[in-house]
Amino acid sequence: MAESRAAVIATGRRLLRRRGRGLKPSAGWRKIIAYLAILGPGMIAASAGNDAGGIATFAAVGAEQGYRLLWILIPITISLGLVQEMCARMGAVTGKGLADLIRERFGVRWTAFVMLALLIANAGVTVSEFVGIAAATELFGVPRFVSVPLSAIGIWWLVVKSSYQRVERAFLLMSLVFLGYVVSAFLAKPDWSAVAVGLVKPSFSFEYTYLFTFVAVVGTTISPYMQVYVQSSVVEKGVTPENYGRTKMDVWVGTILAILVVFFIVISTSATLHEHGLHIESAADAARALEPFAGPYAEKLFAIGLFGASMLAAGVLPLATAYSISEALGFEKGVSRSFREAPIFLGVFTFLIAVGAAIAVIPGLPLIRVLLVTQVINGLLLPIILFAILKLVNDRELMGTHVNGPLYNLGAWLTALIVTLLSLLFILVSLFPNLLSGRS
Amino acid sequence: MLYLSQVLGRPIRDLEGERVATIKDVIVRLGADDHPPVTGIVARFGRRDFFLSRWRITELNEHGVRLNSDKLNLRPFVRRDGEVLLARDVLDKQLIDVDGKRVVRVNDVQLIEAAGDWRVTGADVSLQGLYRRLAPAGFMGTRKPVEVLDWADVGYLATDAATVQLKSSSDKLARLHPVEIARLAEALSYHHGSEVVESLDDETAAETLEEMPSERQVRILGDMDEERAADILELMSPDEAADVLGDLPEEKAEELLGLMEDEEQADVAELLPYEDDTAGGLMTTEFVTLPRELTVGEALARLREMAETPNMIYYLYVVEREGSWKLVGVIALRSLILADPAMPLAEVMRTEFQMAHPDEAADEVAQRIAEYNLLALPVLDETGDILGIITVDDAMEILLPKDWRQRLPRLFG
Repeated sequence: MAESRAAVIATGRRLLRRRGRGLKPSAGWRKIIAYLAILGPGMIAASAGNDAGGIATFAAVGAEQGYRLLWILIPITISLGLVQEMCARMGAVTGKGLADLIRERFGVRWTAFVMLALLIANAGVTVSEFVGIAAATELFGVPRFVSVPLSAIGIWWLVVKSSYQRVERAFLLMSLVFLGYVVSAFLAKPDWSAVAVGLVKPSFSFEYTYLFTFVAVVGTTISPYMQVYVQSSVVEKGVTPENYGRTKMDVWVGTILAILVVFFIVISTSATLHEHGLHIESAADAARALEPFAGPYAEKLFAIGLFGASMLAAGVLPLATAYSISEALGFEKGVSRSFREAPIFLGVFTFLIAVGAAIAVIPGLPLIRVLLVTQVINGLLLPIILFAILKLVNDRELMGTHVNGPLYNLGAWLTALIVTLLSLLFILVSLFPNLLSGRS
Repeated sequence: MLYLSQVLGRPIRDLEGERVATIKDVIVRLGADDHPPVTGIVARFGRRDFFLSRWRITELNEHGVRLNSDKLNLRPFVRRDGEVLLARDVLDKQLIDVDGKRVVRVNDVQLIEAAGDWRVTGADVSLQGLYRRLAPAGFMGTRKPVEVLDWADVGYLATDAATVQLKSSSDKLARLHPVEIARLAEALSYHHGSEVVESLDDETAAETLEEMPSERQVRILGDMDEERAADILELMSPDEAADVLGDLPEEKAEELLGLMEDEEQADVAELLPYEDDTAGGLMTTEFVTLPRELTVGEALARLREMAETPNMIYYLYVVEREGSWKLVGVIALRSLILADPAMPLAEVMRTEFQMAHPDEAADEVAQRIAEYNLLALPVLDETGDILGIITVDDAMEILLPKDWRQRLPRLFG
């Protein structure tokens, strides 16, 4: 036996040397896989903005304002990238979720306040997802009082009792339909010079509808839940400060790609609807912008995309909210827990789905309008999350040398301040409609 | 009984009842005590923090602190070794409840006066604890019984303050099964999860690491002191250790491997060249071979004498002769025990058996193990030499959906 042990050691040594010479065949592949595994959170978070509320908002931007609001996509890209990057960096450096950090650094009262804001914002978005489901199924002729409760029960069951991850991919695939807007935008033959002007020439107005749309765009692109999501998935993936560079790139690439899709949605709706003086009142109107691409199938295609995107977010969003709140308040969490073990976690999750579905089935609800309002709520609550993020990311005790640089801080603070001012201005204008109008 | 939230921000009065400062934090000393004593208070006066020793305090209650003199000694506060600030390091932080086997967040800290000493007796993790801090002071009484976690059951405190880890914590954690420790460490952030593993003894640390997902293993071992990491790797099963080394950066893996003892180093090095998703990547080198010329009795005697018995001895692999690796048969431990001790192994062994080639796809091999209800499958090279075995645990990891794996205890280390 002793002899054979020696033989094994010799073999091991030999193999070790072979490995040292780089004969290991998998090295290249492993690197690519490692890259793909990390490439993701930022990309997914950013494209998650293109859900029911997002599509409705961007379609409304194009239809109502034409190319007038295109210019805000450039500052929004920068702001979204900055905010997402800060959260991703916090996840990599601290290994903790946003809700965790808020609780540990700000104490109970602030946590309760921030979580309440997050709960309201996410409840709004959840409503918008169920409205999206209603709108999508109605295009197929299924009344919403049938489709919405069924979807709500289905989602609840899939998440709690079964494996949501298995169907997740199907929904994700369905939502890829929205890439059709990119093709549509070209086929609609827009006036590219007008597009270029809209993109670089800032316009502003104190009109209620203009501000409303503006806040909705900000709220839907830089939504609070995305920041929570990107940070926790960076933590989940085990990104470290050492290999953070790739994640940083992923965040920026994801942001730019997501805004590019938005850009084309606005162009195609503007070219097909705004230029013909049409408005967006229903999902069918938003679907018409896909006509240059899909012709008679536009409506059905749009419905499929909307359904997939809405189902996806209607499951993920309540779940993410329940995780955040349980995390921050220190309650048991996890879908495998029973109601007795994790009452708050499952309670929040069930409550959000129930509220979302209940509001979406109200008869005669103006769907597109509701979608926009939920995004506005998001925009109004955004400053609270933004200031919390900024305070955390600049905390040296927490972030060490990874705090923001001065230029970075300037951009981030500007974002927070502008979003805050915009929200205040919007509230002011909605309360006193005559105060600032006429000076547009 | 007192809660931390009831004293924070309360006034500090001198002998005459004159308000001289406010309570900013409460200092306790962690040590061998199950219920650590309060050693002082951080007082806030103006915009500066001062240290107040326990011996200058005559009263501590929800109305604040009363000093035993009129003089306020303005000694600036400096944290000493082993000291923890309750508000700064404990409140709102996570800790491991060893008794409940869970990670909880501290909503409040309970203090009890006993024999002239204030001691930390428990961590309030209840909803009421949250209300108490949310509601305006005095709004809610404390009469309601609340869920308080006994401080003696605190296994680990997830605080960023260095040097304050509980001395006794690793003993408490070690009472848990490695699977449980792994689940708890995963519930914490990477940094704190690593601390938990590092606090364990080598054996437990190795077993705990084996239960963790590979990203965690890599990060924890990669950040650890190299000597310690190598010691832990030696104690892990060779296939797990090889997987970790394969995922670490090239130089780091090289360095750790070099630090390992010869024998374990060889075991691991042998497994390194195989791809993750092949039979070779799945196999372990811990198995028992017996030469065919032995009798059943001799074989059993040899098994008993082995210095380090591999975890997997339910199958014994019979080779052509002493020192050879050429596999000629397989014997289940059951048939070995039941057989007549005088019989030669060659007559007891089965010569028809399932096997795998190191380049075979991992999922196909795993499938085969499940299909034939095997506990392990030998992996042979082209010449018929046995290279290693694939145990049913490793096969299950491939076959089961991802979220199931974590609930599955390992049968063979």
